[in-house]
Amino acid sequence: MIEEIHILGVYMPAALVWAVLAVMLVYLIRMPLQRLPLYRLLWHPSLLEFALFVVLWWALSALGDAFLTSFLAP
Amino acid sequence: MFHRQNIVRSLATLLVILVILAGIYALWLRYQIDPVTRDGKVRADMVPVAADVSGLVTDVRVADNQTVKKGDVLFIIDRPRYQLALEQASATLASQQAALAQAVRENRRNQAMRDVLAPEAIEQGRARVEELRAGIGQAQAARKLAKFNLERTLVRAPVAGTVSNMSLQPGVYLNAGKPALALVYDRSMRVEGYFEETKLPAIRVGDPASIYLMGVADEIEGHVQSIAGGVEDRERVGADGQLANVNPSFTWVRLAQRIPVRISIDKIPPNVRMIPGQTATVIVHPRNDGRSVHRSLPW
Repeated sequence: MIEEIHILGVYMPAALVWAVLAVMLVYLIRMPLQRLPLYRLLWHPSLLEFALFVVLWWALSALGDAFLTSFLAP
Repeated sequence: MFHRQNIVRSLATLLVILVILAGIYALWLRYQIDPVTRDGKVRADMVPVAADVSGLVTDVRVADNQTVKKGDVLFIIDRPRYQLALEQASATLASQQAALAQAVRENRRNQAMRDVLAPEAIEQGRARVEELRAGIGQAQAARKLAKFNLERTLVRAPVAGTVSNMSLQPGVYLNAGKPALALVYDRSMRVEGYFEETKLPAIRVGDPASIYLMGVADEIEGHVQSIAGGVEDRERVGADGQLANVNPSFTWVRLAQRIPVRISIDKIPPNVRMIPGQTATVIVHPRNDGRSVHRSLPW
């Protein structure tokens, strides 16, 4: 499990880094999503973005731990 | 038609909210429950080495950060002075022995001339012999003590370990009992992981653990040796025998206390060096022994 990531001597919890990556991904996905007529399906389309963020955060940390750990520390 | 769309919208919104909650729950499990801590420290017992006799340091036999075996001489305290003290004690003993021999001879003569001497004088002679015998016992003990002190001028390593933070130089005057250098007892090296109390139910004594030192990719293997018996209650001050003095303010946000968990080290990779004080990440792998942990949900 990747617990922390250090940048220039500052150790940050890995969760923070995955969260930042998830935000960036959601921001990229958001533009095509806005073209879909989501307002017909959802009361608050922004809820979907938040859900995407949470799921991506979890998925990134799970994938990172599953693949990056063995890749970085063989 | 309008009505059906409302139902679809409600259901879809509900679904999205459920997805959000499930994601938060998965993240909570991952980061708050798995017995992992980044707050671990390498620790070892320190043995402060002090001289047993006072005096000038005449010779320092170790350098800073040197590894020593048990019994190795670390430094030497003013040996000539204690040698002189031993000689003095020996001389005192010899003079006492001479006095005793003389008293014994006198006593023997007195005993032979019982008819001419007053009984008082004979008694005095015998008492003097006994006095001097006791004096010799004292002088012998003093000599042994002087010899013992002379041996103690060689300050030896009480345990095998590493000399640490040493700045002792010849010429420094040391008082008996004052620590002169610190010895790190290498055999007692272990890692203490400070686990939040929310993570503690999953940890049992004997569980295998992985330790990663800060910046080192190699895994150090260990197992949970023991869990601390108690930590300080920070809401309460005051000594035993007084009334409880409980902090009147109770904070809105509560934080989990951290409990030290002692991890004993089983295997260190050959290229890894552990130094007490280093930061470590500790991951405990709970064994699959049918334990049931009833943990409360995030609320």
